[in-house]
Amino acid sequence: MNAPVSQSVALPPNVRVGANTLITGDLAFKRFHSRRDPALVIGANCTMDGVHFALGEQSSARIGNYCYFTNAVLLCELELHIGNYVVIGWNATIADTDFHPLSPAERIADAIACSPSGKGRSRPEIPKLPVVIEDDVWIGPNATILKGVRIGAGAWIEAGALITRDVPPRKRVLGNPAQIVGAVK
Amino acid sequence: MNADRTLSGDWYPGKIPENVAVDETAYIETSFSFHFFRSRLPRGVEIGRAASTYLGTMFDVGPEGKVTLGDYALVHGARIICDSEISIGDYALISWNVVLMDTYRVPFDARARRDELERVPTRRPRVAAAHVEARPIRIARNVWIGFDACVLPGVTIGEGAVVGARSVVSENVPPFTVVAGNPARAIRQLEPPPFAQHA
Repeated sequence: MNAPVSQSVALPPNVRVGANTLITGDLAFKRFHSRRDPALVIGANCTMDGVHFALGEQSSARIGNYCYFTNAVLLCELELHIGNYVVIGWNATIADTDFHPLSPAERIADAIACSPSGKGRSRPEIPKLPVVIEDDVWIGPNATILKGVRIGAGAWIEAGALITRDVPPRKRVLGNPAQIVGAVK
Repeated sequence: MNADRTLSGDWYPGKIPENVAVDETAYIETSFSFHFFRSRLPRGVEIGRAASTYLGTMFDVGPEGKVTLGDYALVHGARIICDSEISIGDYALISWNVVLMDTYRVPFDARARRDELERVPTRRPRVAAAHVEARPIRIARNVWIGFDACVLPGVTIGEGAVVGARSVVSENVPPFTVVAGNPARAIRQLEPPPFAQHA
């Protein structure tokens, strides 16, 4: 369970956080492995309540000001850009990677490289593409955003939607795969 | 619930708020479920006979919100986001990571949403609490909702209906109907039992 919203957790040295930004939850940096510096930059006046910052060794993420995320899971192996005034709902997931290769033979190699006896083995090439979420985007609870997607400014991603393609600005999308069902101002 | 409104064996050192009515035969696993409970109504939550709520269930209820849980209803770990009314009927089964939301908590208009997001950091706890339209959710008796499903504002789910895992319910579900998918669609009809309240 996540600790209640009260005070920020201890930050890794390569994380920069603006004034009045709150980061809570025991799991915030449990899977934070980035060696970049800075690896994670978060603007001012943000609320990151129970967010998982699962950043791979070579990844970096940037989050703007006045963002409000509750228990979002950010899985980043490359690059994640999130603008200002972005809301991400409870248990939503954003991933900029496929995690494993598509080809069966390469997946066996990857399973071995990821196993307890795979220390030092390099993993096969895995598709990764940056995710960009522009200003004023609202992402509902249980939504999923996959690699290479750009979500246009002010777009409204309904609860549970699965996003595999770009979303134009100010459109409302719903479903799996998500379809445009309307627009917001 | 103990006389001082704590729970036996609770991992979280909290109490059940005064305006939460809990039947003496009901079971609540943790008082952390009320961490985001802010209802000012005389009865912000009512929990019926032999109803139960388990770890992960969150009553994220605003000042005007009211949640009712019927007799023998079982909520395994739902996020209940309520600013008007969410009623869950008798014998309902709600699985883990289900989202029931009667409100979006922030305005659709991006400019108004910015104003609200600038207020969030000033609140304790930090929550979005804009005055936007909330539309009640009604989940009738004997409904079963699978894990990770979402129920959007204004939806009514009829008696005995089943919502498949990971479905997103954006429209009303008739009684004794199985829906699945995102958005959820009817895939099957069920035989109403002889004691059904609606035919």
